Amino acid sequence: MTGKDMTYARITNEILLPVENKPNKAWWIGFIVSALGAMLWVVSISLTFWYGLGEWGLNKTVGWAWDITGFVWWVGIGHAGTLISAVLLVFSQNWRNSINRSAEAMTIFAVICAATYIVAHMGRPWLAYFTLPLPNQYGSLWVNWNSALMMDVFAISTYFSVSLLFWYTGLLPDIASIRDRAKGLRRRIYSILSFGWTGSLKTWQRFETVSLILAGISTPLVLSVHTIVSFDFATSLEPGWHTTIFPPYFVAGAIFSGFAMVQTLLLVTRKVLGLENYITMFHIESMNKIILLTGSIVGVAYITEFFIAWYSGVEYEQYAFINRATGPYWWAYWSMMSCNVISPQLFWSSKLRRNIPFSWALSIVVNIGMWFERFVIIVTSLHRDYIPSSWAMFYPTWVDVGVFIGSIGVFFTLFLLFIRVLPSVAIAEVKLLLKTASEQAKLKQIKEGHLEPAEVQYYKESLTKYDSVDMADYEKV
Amino acid sequence: MDSNKKYWKGLEELNRTPEFVEKNKHEFAEPIPIEEVLSGGGLSAKTPRRDFLKALGFGMGAVTLAACQKVPVHKSIPYLIKPEEVTPGVANYYTSTFEGNAILVKTREGRPIKVEGNPNDLLGKGGLSAQAQASVLDLYDTNRIQDPMLNGSTSGWAQVDAFVKSELAAIAAAGKTISIVSATKSSPSTQAVIAEFITKYPTAKHVVYDAVSYTGIIKANQNSFGKAVLPHYNFDKADVIVSFGADFLGTWISGEEFTRQYVSNRNAKSLEEKKMSRHIQFESGMSMTGTNADVRVAIKPSEEGPALVNLYNAISGTTLPGSKKLTTANADKAIALVAKELAAAKGRALVVCGSNDVATQVLVNAINSLLGSYGTTIDLDNPSRQYAGNDSAIVEFIAAAKRGDVGAAIFLDANPAYDYHSTAAVKDALKKVRLKVSFSDHADETATLCNVVAPNHHYLESWGDDSAIEGYYTVVQPAINPVYNTRQAETSLLVWSDNAAKDYYTFVRNNWNTTLLAIGGLSGQPGWETLLQTGFVKAAPKAAGTYNFNLDLNAVAQTILSQSAKLGEGVSLAGKKVELQVYQNNAMRDGKRSNNPWLQELPDPVSKVTWDNFVAMAPSDVKKLGLDEFAVVKVTANGYTVELPVLSQPGQAPDTISIAVGYGRTAAGKVGDNVGKNAFPFYSFLNGTFQTTAQATIETTGDTFPLSQTQTHHSYEGRTVIRETTFAEYKKNPEAGKGEEEGEHKKYDLWENTNNDRIHARPVYDWVMAIDLNACTGCGACVVACSAENNVPVVGKEEVGRRREMHWIRIDRYYSFAENGTAKADERTGMVTKEKEIAKLEDFSNVTVVHQPMLCQHCDHAPCETVCPVLATVHSSEGLNQMAYNRCVGTRYCANNCPYKVRRFNWFNYWNDSRFDNYLNNEHTQLVLNPDVTTRFRGVMEKCSMCVQRIQAGKLKAKMEKRPLQDGEVKMACQQTCSANAIIFGNRNDKNSEVYKALQSERTYYVLEELNVQPGIGYQVKVRNTGTESLA
Repeated sequence: MTGKDMTYARITNEILLPVENKPNKAWWIGFIVSALGAMLWVVSISLTFWYGLGEWGLNKTVGWAWDITGFVWWVGIGHAGTLISAVLLVFSQNWRNSINRSAEAMTIFAVICAATYIVAHMGRPWLAYFTLPLPNQYGSLWVNWNSALMMDVFAISTYFSVSLLFWYTGLLPDIASIRDRAKGLRRRIYSILSFGWTGSLKTWQRFETVSLILAGISTPLVLSVHTIVSFDFATSLEPGWHTTIFPPYFVAGAIFSGFAMVQTLLLVTRKVLGLENYITMFHIESMNKIILLTGSIVGVAYITEFFIAWYSGVEYEQYAFINRATGPYWWAYWSMMSCNVISPQLFWSSKLRRNIPFSWALSIVVNIGMWFERFVIIVTSLHRDYIPSSWAMFYPTWVDVGVFIGSIGVFFTLFLLFIRVLPSVAIAEVKLLLKTASEQAKLKQIKEGHLEPAEVQYYKESLTKYDSVDMADYEKV
Repeated sequence: MDSNKKYWKGLEELNRTPEFVEKNKHEFAEPIPIEEVLSGGGLSAKTPRRDFLKALGFGMGAVTLAACQKVPVHKSIPYLIKPEEVTPGVANYYTSTFEGNAILVKTREGRPIKVEGNPNDLLGKGGLSAQAQASVLDLYDTNRIQDPMLNGSTSGWAQVDAFVKSELAAIAAAGKTISIVSATKSSPSTQAVIAEFITKYPTAKHVVYDAVSYTGIIKANQNSFGKAVLPHYNFDKADVIVSFGADFLGTWISGEEFTRQYVSNRNAKSLEEKKMSRHIQFESGMSMTGTNADVRVAIKPSEEGPALVNLYNAISGTTLPGSKKLTTANADKAIALVAKELAAAKGRALVVCGSNDVATQVLVNAINSLLGSYGTTIDLDNPSRQYAGNDSAIVEFIAAAKRGDVGAAIFLDANPAYDYHSTAAVKDALKKVRLKVSFSDHADETATLCNVVAPNHHYLESWGDDSAIEGYYTVVQPAINPVYNTRQAETSLLVWSDNAAKDYYTFVRNNWNTTLLAIGGLSGQPGWETLLQTGFVKAAPKAAGTYNFNLDLNAVAQTILSQSAKLGEGVSLAGKKVELQVYQNNAMRDGKRSNNPWLQELPDPVSKVTWDNFVAMAPSDVKKLGLDEFAVVKVTANGYTVELPVLSQPGQAPDTISIAVGYGRTAAGKVGDNVGKNAFPFYSFLNGTFQTTAQATIETTGDTFPLSQTQTHHSYEGRTVIRETTFAEYKKNPEAGKGEEEGEHKKYDLWENTNNDRIHARPVYDWVMAIDLNACTGCGACVVACSAENNVPVVGKEEVGRRREMHWIRIDRYYSFAENGTAKADERTGMVTKEKEIAKLEDFSNVTVVHQPMLCQHCDHAPCETVCPVLATVHSSEGLNQMAYNRCVGTRYCANNCPYKVRRFNWFNYWNDSRFDNYLNNEHTQLVLNPDVTTRFRGVMEKCSMCVQRIQAGKLKAKMEKRPLQDGEVKMACQQTCSANAIIFGNRNDKNSEVYKALQSERTYYVLEELNVQPGIGYQVKVRNTGTESLA
């Protein structure tokens, strides 16, 4: 699960390397590109806010397109973070420890990107607070709890707060580590940020408890958030949206896209920050397996939708699905199908699963596919629904594209800043993976014959069971 | 308990130290430094006295200066002396006349905001055209000329009068002609003014010039019956109507009147009596009338003449020399069958023809005479006065001017520099005219060539009268003081001719006092006041005489056939030679109102194109030429060339193209300039009339120019959204076509019903609507009426092209095709309606059309309401789905979830965004807004409110009069303007209401009722009288 010859000191030194040193060239290149993207976002959003939503390509028939596509895409991406940090924690999958920090950061930034879409897609974003059930001078004027959008507001804000809390709690011991190693102003800042972490046994005990409680709260969120996002469509009347399969299908899709995004980010981060010892082939392969599984679930959902459309006997429903596959947006549908269903099947081959460039390329393909999935659901359903006279095509404007590309820029800017100022791998939790005081020390002890053979045997067995230590070293002893 | 507690403030008091005792004698323990302050010592204190005064002075000064800032004055009282009849907030209505239709002008606080039909109007009976509805906006057009102009610069009336009078005197003295070139002036007073002008200047001549004229019919009647009149047609008396290219429901003579007449034989009442007229249309381009025909046969313009000859032959049993079979076999068959049907309906038949050719119209007269139409369906004794233009007169005028014989040309509602077929000739001719006067209120193409522009009033600022039909006289009265320094053209003519009456009002009064009031049995001041209230007087119509045609037709047939042969000679698509038909479309007509954004944005009833004209071409021809959608082609005919995009138009006869006039204005104003291309130069002058057809060559250019259509999918995919049947089926089973053989749709509710059959009680009113698909002709007047009533923004060509028009009501137009070859028909409709099947079709001429007005259905289970996160759209206890604009944050979820797609989003701030500078971006034009309806900010959703302001006003009125609201008292804007009466609105709770009865019809169905959204608008199945034998 970790590289060879790991020691506690080495872990701290290596992980904090990017935090405690000047950024390298690769970081700067990435940051400049991302910041340019973020600027594009600022320009596009400003234009939209200044003139109105007409700057986008929407029309009387297609009222949502790139905006909600982007929103659902980002929320979906966020899901992997929660799944890794919460669900895998609850299920004691300790291999998560080296990837959960980045994954959680990704969740936070992805949800931020999604939230900007919620506000930006409103015709009058300055009245966004209308969606909150605030007491007001109109007496009983309240929000509409029947509306899935209303549920969305709460789902997303809950999700964001819990994720942020969870992430930050996990960061506390690591921030304290930085604090302890820093000097001057840095020390003061990290000191404040560490909330006075002492590292006492009691602190650790509380830390563990809080982490578990938050994991417990987050676990249902993994399911609920995307379920509620899917309600935006499932509770409507639109053929192609009005589908009971949406909640599980969306959750699977979210995990699918989330893992793909984690893969995209980590494969690069591990290379750039030299974290090969922490994000190992074991992680990459595990995530690829999850991508394969969720991709297949999504595939089954696509086919089920088609079947149900036919089985329902409702002509509008049938048309919506036939139109997806053969109508004017057939290319979007088949892009989605090949990216999401067909391409992950290549991961049945363990060779490809372990091929890093291939995994990275496929993670991008999956992300593209998942964007298309939302585009297909939203645009191809809307553009031809009940009344043929209103059928229309949607053509994005450069502002649409700018907001989306820009949101990716915002995401990466935040992520790159994050890896510069906070440890991108959970130091404390990775240290847990080295279950003994030091595996090397133990090995040395064994080699020097300080241990009973039975004890050695037990130790070896536990290593095979729980750890990814190269057993070759133990063969000889 | 005895208490002797003592309280002390400090130890000093307790101990009663001597200092304390001393100090305690004074009110204040320490002395107040009054002396110090009052003496000079105060100056050295912390805040010296002078500093205080300085601060005070500065403060006063600063506040005073700040108060000097000019605060904008918002005048909230519109009147210094309030006219007695004006109550702010209450509308006043004035009778007036628009193009011969009696109207009511709604004014609020002294400004006209809406034009409504006079319910007693003889023509439309309250129905009004889109043009009439839009005319109020012209009043507030900022491109109007604001002052008289002399030699191209702003001047005053005195200078203009002096100049014109001296010039006229000189011209008259020189014996040169003074020509008054005007459009048809059916106003008796205007005619009298012109007559008196001619008396004063004997060399003066009145040239009546209609850009789109009916000279052919007038001359033919002169020729056939010795009466140079435009007949009054009675479509209500016709059981069989055959039209050869006459768009009589739209642009032909009197569209609104004919619509009313036509629909009276096809509406619910008529159907219940098992009666329905039959309408067969032969035409080249698809007209709005053609879309309503029971049978429509596409023929080339060159086949029209031979078809009429054959029809005459078939009815009369003779054979005119030169007759031969038509090239299109089914047209030939159709003519034979139509002849039979017409002959069977003798006395109840009518044949009309849109041609402006005298010979053709003579032949039509002969056919109508054989059918006994004169005296029944055609009335020559109470003729129409709507068009009296004489094509040869304008041609002669131009020739005379070129010769230098014309000394003065005065243009009244005439713009030959734009709409004459040779604008170069007009320009050349006018160069030789000494005095050129235009009465145009815009610096139009002709006005810019004139040395005097004497801007006329808008008709809502004018006095006057009109007479659309003989014996029917309507009054024109102003609804507002002149906005600009304009003067009524008639007054100008009176002044220039030194008339005794110095202003036109006096002249009109005198005219009515002496002749017209008596017709209505009125007299004197009370009579005049009655007239101003009723709006018109009407003489008992003369008995319509029968006329027999007894002229020899051989020569006529010869002319027709040779002309047709010439037109059709060598026409072939492969050779890029086609027949061109020039037509008027329903919105723009002859282009006089092209600066009106409401009309520009009104989709053409057939093509659904806005803001442009185009080359209409049969889809099969487009395919054969390998043209892309909206490919630009170069069309050349009569030595004139335009480049226009091609529109694939089902129903267009193969090898023909159609181009609408009324576009390509260059001096209309900022809205109308350079919209489309001018097609008037395709006209030619032949045999004494303007011909609207020509042979044209087409060339591809390789460019494309996207047209902005409000509808881009044209078939209804076999969906039950549209339900139609044939008259034969209907007679057997009135429920035919409804497709509810399994019985009524059940309504489901999640909650237990406690209020009889519905969850939410509608204690008093339940507002619903009934729309008869069999009455709606698709004209679109309702769209403009709704825009005017509800302040619906105009968004312009670009935005319409992005599918963002804001209309609250739209007319969906669907094509369906007869099965042929490989294309498969739907089971339900028996027609080809599915996109994939239509793609297999080869022949698109056999098309049927249905129009469906679509607006918010005010569903009882409104899907928009449940999804709004902020409850901005909610249901009223009267069954209305309402929008709270102030609450809307603009998520557009409601629009996505609306199955009818009737919700409209304000993508931009159309009121205050310089990029949409064609409508309301100036305060002056904003005066046209209905103050009862709020304007919507950007980011807000809007949609049909069922004119809730009208409902509220009606309820309030009833309440104040302490009576229940009566059925029909509240009318929707769309309903009110509909000449066909296709829309009925009312209270479903009232079992005697018109709407309740209409909804009880066996034909009633609800669009998408299977979704259980429980829409509030019931549609009545479209019925087609397709006849027993297939004609097409």
